[in-house]
Amino acid sequence: MTYVPVIDESACLAHGDCEEMAPEVFRVEDVATVIGRAPDEQLMEVARACPASAIVLVDKESGQQVYP
Amino acid sequence: MSAVVDADVLIAGGGLAAQRCCEALRRGGFDGRIVVLCDEPRAPYDRPALSKAVLMGERDVSTLAYREPRWYEEHEIELLLGAAARELDATAHVVELEDGSRLRYGQLLTATGSRPRPLPLFGESERVHELRTAADAQALRDTLANGSGELAVIGAGLIGLEVASAARALGLAVTVIEAAPTPLARALPPALGLWIAGLHREHGVDVRLATAVESVEHGSRDIRIKLSDGSYVTAETVLLAVGTVPATEWLKSSGLGPGAIGVDAGGRTQLPDVYAAGDAACYPGPHPEQRIPTQHWEAAARQGATVARSLLGQEPLPSPPSMFWSDQHGRRIQLVGHSPDGCHVELDGDPAASDFIAWLTHTELPPAAMLVNRPDALPQARARIAASLPS
Repeated sequence: MTYVPVIDESACLAHGDCEEMAPEVFRVEDVATVIGRAPDEQLMEVARACPASAIVLVDKESGQQVYP
Repeated sequence: MSAVVDADVLIAGGGLAAQRCCEALRRGGFDGRIVVLCDEPRAPYDRPALSKAVLMGERDVSTLAYREPRWYEEHEIELLLGAAARELDATAHVVELEDGSRLRYGQLLTATGSRPRPLPLFGESERVHELRTAADAQALRDTLANGSGELAVIGAGLIGLEVASAARALGLAVTVIEAAPTPLARALPPALGLWIAGLHREHGVDVRLATAVESVEHGSRDIRIKLSDGSYVTAETVLLAVGTVPATEWLKSSGLGPGAIGVDAGGRTQLPDVYAAGDAACYPGPHPEQRIPTQHWEAAARQGATVARSLLGQEPLPSPPSMFWSDQHGRRIQLVGHSPDGCHVELDGDPAASDFIAWLTHTELPPAAMLVNRPDALPQARARIAASLPS
């Protein structure tokens, strides 16, 4: 669990797919917000499923953006 | 506001544009009375799942509402379920409903969306489906759920192709019949349409292109469709998916329509205090040569919020390149921008592996891009297209 999800609020259109796939991590109101953690693999799956590509994943150990 | 009104803001239509307009109005501090006419007997809900997860049995239609009922109470938004507008008297600022009641409004948002284009050739039959509403999706799901038999899909647009994909995954034999030479012919250049046809054929879909339906015979157990090439397709279930028409007939006497309602960048129609958003509206495109009704989820979401800004006295936000997405046979397909007619196609990646970006370029018009299983490239595609738009 080294990936940290960050929402790009300028890209998020509140489609809601992230909350549907990982309600323990994302809550969607006007935009999505991050409310929890999940395994890296699951976060990558959710980030790739976001129709707006608004979920940015950062590796907290290296500090590098790993997605997109 | 001088006269007493039933709604300071009346929204005809209960889809995504209506929902986003309500949210943005309340967020912007609007405290007037908001009334929403939802012609279906349910609160605004998310439609993209209807042709995907609902058909696959992964989501139930009861889970699709954008907000809990409590949200509408807390935000003092009155939803009139099962209430459809029948006529607009813009001079009197009155909308008449199907049940004959009349509502006086201060400002009106027409967001009545679109409906499937009818194909009268197929007549009325329980075997003949269309897909627009939650009820349509539930009926189609019930029919496809046992995973056997044959489905004929008339029209290779987004809905037809997504249903074909879901039905194959469920185990049905599927034939797609399209009159144009390539799928998604209005949205994609022929080379990419043919790539999509190939994807479906690889997954066992029988794709008939440049083929029209000549006649239809209803048997006791199935429907027999005669095609323009002289061949027949027999299917227990038929989906009609030959595009949509804007649901704007109710505006006839007001002078708006027929067809999509032209508006300015703030969503204003030519009538005072009347706005439009979503599938029923046609907004100026990001490029002056491209004013195209987009009829996609993102457009409806942005336009609903745009009208709220206008109602709050704010300027519209700059509009980014349009985008739509589709899921077919496990591939995420995204189109950013408007594919220009006669464009040049540059491929980056491997089409055979369903992993590529196709750049659609043109000497005079802004480029577009189709992404297949490359959601990571969306920000880059958006930035490149936005940079080419006139500011």
